[in-house]
Amino acid sequence: MLASQLRSMWLVFRHLFTRNATVQYPDEKPYLAPRYRGRIVLTRDPDGDERCVACNLCAVACPPDCISLQKTEDEDGRWRPAYFRINFSRCIMCGLCEDACPTYAIQLTPDFEMCEYDRQNMVYEKEDLLISGPGKYHDYSFYRVAGKAIDGKDKGQAQKEAPPIDVKSLNL
Amino acid sequence: MPNITIDGEQYEIEDGQNLLNACLSLGINLPYFCWHPAMGSVGACRQCAVIEYKDFEDQRGKLVMGCMTPIKDGGIYSVSADSAREFRGGVIEDLMTNHPHDCPVCEEGGECHLQDMTEMSGHTLRRYRGTKRTHRNQYLGPFINHEMNRCIACYRCTRFYREYAGGSDLAALGRNNQVYFGREQDGMLESGFSGNLVEVCPTGVFTDKTFSEHFVRKWDLQTAPSICEHCAVGCNTAPGAREPGDGEDAILRRVTNLFNHDINGYFLCDRGRFGYDYVNSEARIKNVLATRTLELIETTAGENEKIHGDMAPRDALQQFADTITAARRGRRRLIGIGSPRSSLENNFALRQLVGAEHYYAGLNARDLQLLHLVDRIQRDPRLYSPTTPQIENADAVLVLGEEIEQTAPRIALAVRQAARNRQKQHAQQLKIPLWQDASVRQLDGSPSPILLVGVDTAGLCDIASEHLPCTAEQTAMFAAAIACRLSGDDSGSPDLPEGLLELADNAAQILAGAERPLIISGCGNRDKATLHGAAAIATALGERTESPCALYLACPEVNSLGIAQLFEPGTGDLEQLAQSLESGEDTGMPVSVVILENDLYRRADAETVEQILAADEVILLDSLLNQTARRADLIFPAAATAESQGSYINSNGTAQRFYAVYEGTGFIQESWRWLSDAAGLCGAKAPSLTALASWRHSTDLSAAIACEFSQMASLADLGPDEDYRIDGLKVARQTHRYSGRTAIHAKAHVAEQPPHADPDAPMAFSMEGIQNAGETPLVANIWSPGWNSNQSIHKFQQEVGGPRRHADGTARLLREPQAMPSWRAPTGSAPRSPAELELVPLYCLYGSDELSARAKAIASVIDEPYAVLSEHDASERAIAAGDSVEIELPEAHFLVRARISTDQPRGTLGVPYGLPGLEELAAYLPGRATLSRLARISSTESGGTAQ
Repeated sequence: MLASQLRSMWLVFRHLFTRNATVQYPDEKPYLAPRYRGRIVLTRDPDGDERCVACNLCAVACPPDCISLQKTEDEDGRWRPAYFRINFSRCIMCGLCEDACPTYAIQLTPDFEMCEYDRQNMVYEKEDLLISGPGKYHDYSFYRVAGKAIDGKDKGQAQKEAPPIDVKSLNL
Repeated sequence: MPNITIDGEQYEIEDGQNLLNACLSLGINLPYFCWHPAMGSVGACRQCAVIEYKDFEDQRGKLVMGCMTPIKDGGIYSVSADSAREFRGGVIEDLMTNHPHDCPVCEEGGECHLQDMTEMSGHTLRRYRGTKRTHRNQYLGPFINHEMNRCIACYRCTRFYREYAGGSDLAALGRNNQVYFGREQDGMLESGFSGNLVEVCPTGVFTDKTFSEHFVRKWDLQTAPSICEHCAVGCNTAPGAREPGDGEDAILRRVTNLFNHDINGYFLCDRGRFGYDYVNSEARIKNVLATRTLELIETTAGENEKIHGDMAPRDALQQFADTITAARRGRRRLIGIGSPRSSLENNFALRQLVGAEHYYAGLNARDLQLLHLVDRIQRDPRLYSPTTPQIENADAVLVLGEEIEQTAPRIALAVRQAARNRQKQHAQQLKIPLWQDASVRQLDGSPSPILLVGVDTAGLCDIASEHLPCTAEQTAMFAAAIACRLSGDDSGSPDLPEGLLELADNAAQILAGAERPLIISGCGNRDKATLHGAAAIATALGERTESPCALYLACPEVNSLGIAQLFEPGTGDLEQLAQSLESGEDTGMPVSVVILENDLYRRADAETVEQILAADEVILLDSLLNQTARRADLIFPAAATAESQGSYINSNGTAQRFYAVYEGTGFIQESWRWLSDAAGLCGAKAPSLTALASWRHSTDLSAAIACEFSQMASLADLGPDEDYRIDGLKVARQTHRYSGRTAIHAKAHVAEQPPHADPDAPMAFSMEGIQNAGETPLVANIWSPGWNSNQSIHKFQQEVGGPRRHADGTARLLREPQAMPSWRAPTGSAPRSPAELELVPLYCLYGSDELSARAKAIASVIDEPYAVLSEHDASERAIAAGDSVEIELPEAHFLVRARISTDQPRGTLGVPYGLPGLEELAAYLPGRATLSRLARISSTESGGTAQ
């Protein structure tokens, strides 16, 4: 009994000489890896066009259902979100939207510090989320891989595509 | 019943199936592409491979294609054997080598059969590193988008389009690995069933263009079982809706087929599939409108037309209630005009409000009498109204004076299948199973007799054994001649020309010799004699065989037969109303007319309409602004079919309930609710008003109708009522994957709002509740784990192609059987002056229907006003095709383009019924008019002389 108490006191005493684990946040910022899963951004492809094609996969993967968007098709044949909204007051930063995103448009950033006095300010629209660069994936452009023709990339001009077939030829 | 073993499990199954069919019926997942439950097997895609063992000793077995393997008693099969799985995985890997990396930008994604089957086969990693074949796309019209890269060459599209639906302009072109499914050149697909390609295509080659304009994934659609409101066939549909997210209210996004074994099966027509968009139209009434008496400097409104402004619903209802109170106190006449395009519940509520003696059908005398005649004929015990499978089974078909391709397209598609019955019989004699589609279609043998009489349509001509375009009068005489021959009583046979006599003899012989003859007619001719003639043939056949004969009578509108039930024959037409208004003028009592979802200008002649709309107060409840709305003093926004619950009665006399898919925008609510609200505010207390005001649920009205009309007693047990629950829960309209719940409204307010409550149905406007209530008729989201596309319908059927698992929520009218008296064809009509032409109605798939004509995509393909005349009449009047001509009636005249057809009988002028621009002509059909040619526009422009 007494031995146990003495041992406890010894352990506490010994801790006086160990390094302090507490970080004095926010005065002192902890290290967050570049791939830390914080707030999302919408990135652009290497040509500077929006990467998001409004496929809705992020919205359906989202456990708290806090992403909503609407597909629209532009004159150039690209699909784009007419609006892209995320309600960060519901977001659990799980990163499933980034996983689901087939075009690398959604990428998570190490920013998790979103404090607002008004909860309404936690609702981010596409304009708030878009960044001007390609994020972690510098070279990927979805439409260079996809078969759908858009302005500036005709059928057969995507990666690993044969030229379009002329049905009226003999096709031997 | 054969016993078979699949993967060690014993099953007892129906004989005569193929193995794939049996597996799916048993709930065993087996991937497939080219097989379709309505189109049978061709064994093209090699995807449904299974192992068949010789006996229990056999360890190795052999690979067979499920869809091409007839079940045999004692057969031993394995779906999950490694060699079969590997084979299927290999096939799909090959199919996927050329498939583009498109899924995120493909409308099919998320409900794609190819995605499902790829997952099911376990092909998850692409090993192919070569180049992909590419194709150019075609423009296929405003309905269908073409993305040929995605094709896996299963041939389903051409098999459906050409072989099932009889189209000719879509074909498999090219050869070997480069085969191309498209048209010879860009252009709109001609078939009226092209929309089914969207569902038939297992991948995203053909997608719905109208849906793409306001696209969301399938899992984001809120659905409920509904009924197509664009004709009287009553096809079941699954409309999908969702909010746009920009703060606006929900919009209807698309319509897909909802399987009903007895009505539409797997297919819809294009009017039904693409006509939904009228709901989102600019002309939609969303607020209560009232006339303004402002002094305006200038206005575009015509004479008598009123200028409207928004009014607070409460004030408008109070004004309405004051009118009702005044009427109850005898200081005002209150008249109600119902509509055949509104539900029974709405019509009944109006009848309750104004009283049966002041309630009118909203149809002219001729149309209402036709409907009553249809109702009367269908009561005859010697005949019955066939379901679609029964029509497909007929071995001889006589179509009398009804353009079913345009007025009841789904029935025409069924008739097209009936044309193959001799071929099928031949196949059965040769012991070829009917699902062996390619083999059966190769068999020679004449097609089953399909006789088209008095029909102008070219749509069914390719399967017709006889096609006789003639006038309504001749049609009736021809029918009478057949009936006389069938009943063996030649005394009443009318005088027919020699050629027709022979044809009538021939037709009578064919019908008498058929085992399952079918007569089709309808209100299309707007001629009682045609209906009588059809009935006379059917009853004569029924008497001959001593079993009821099939007679399908097509009605014009979705609830035509329903509204006929609310009136005694000979009462309730608009002419009677006009007359009574005229005779009541002396009393000096002000008149209020309540018009329910009806554009009177389409219904009656100008004089009658003027008489009615001259009333002191016109109150309109409708969904779209129309000609009548211009004259109304007070307009209430009424819910469209997809926004409301109610019942319709189709041409067959089958009552069906439809459920609200979503809440209407703005102040839109069901018409009966407006009426009920007004009755509630009313100062006068009468039992009928109190009852009306006390109804809270749509089902309360259904029950009241069932109580009041004995023939509609079955309405009370139509479907689960409002208080129905499964495990204490309602059925969810939204899928379990419905996305964006906490974000879609977040722009306006970040806190989530509770979903709208639904007082009418045991369904919720949310994700909460039972997700997969497959045992009830409440499910419209056809989805099953691993089966995201509409192909999963087999999970909801008793067996593949069979009825759905639950009672289908329909009920036939319980009409008292009553034999039709014998009938003789009227002889001779009033002589016609040579200058006059007989106006006969023609029908258009796009344009004749009032609501679908307002849908954006359909409006873009509607023809300019035209009229068709015979070559003889044209040359007599020196009219060439394309000339501008004027149809002159005593009260009105219409400017149209002339068309010339060899099929148009001499002395007649075919005018499209209800076509935009000619709506007001509809009430004058059939009738007589003179035709005069105007200046030939094209020639004046090029400097020629105008005549």
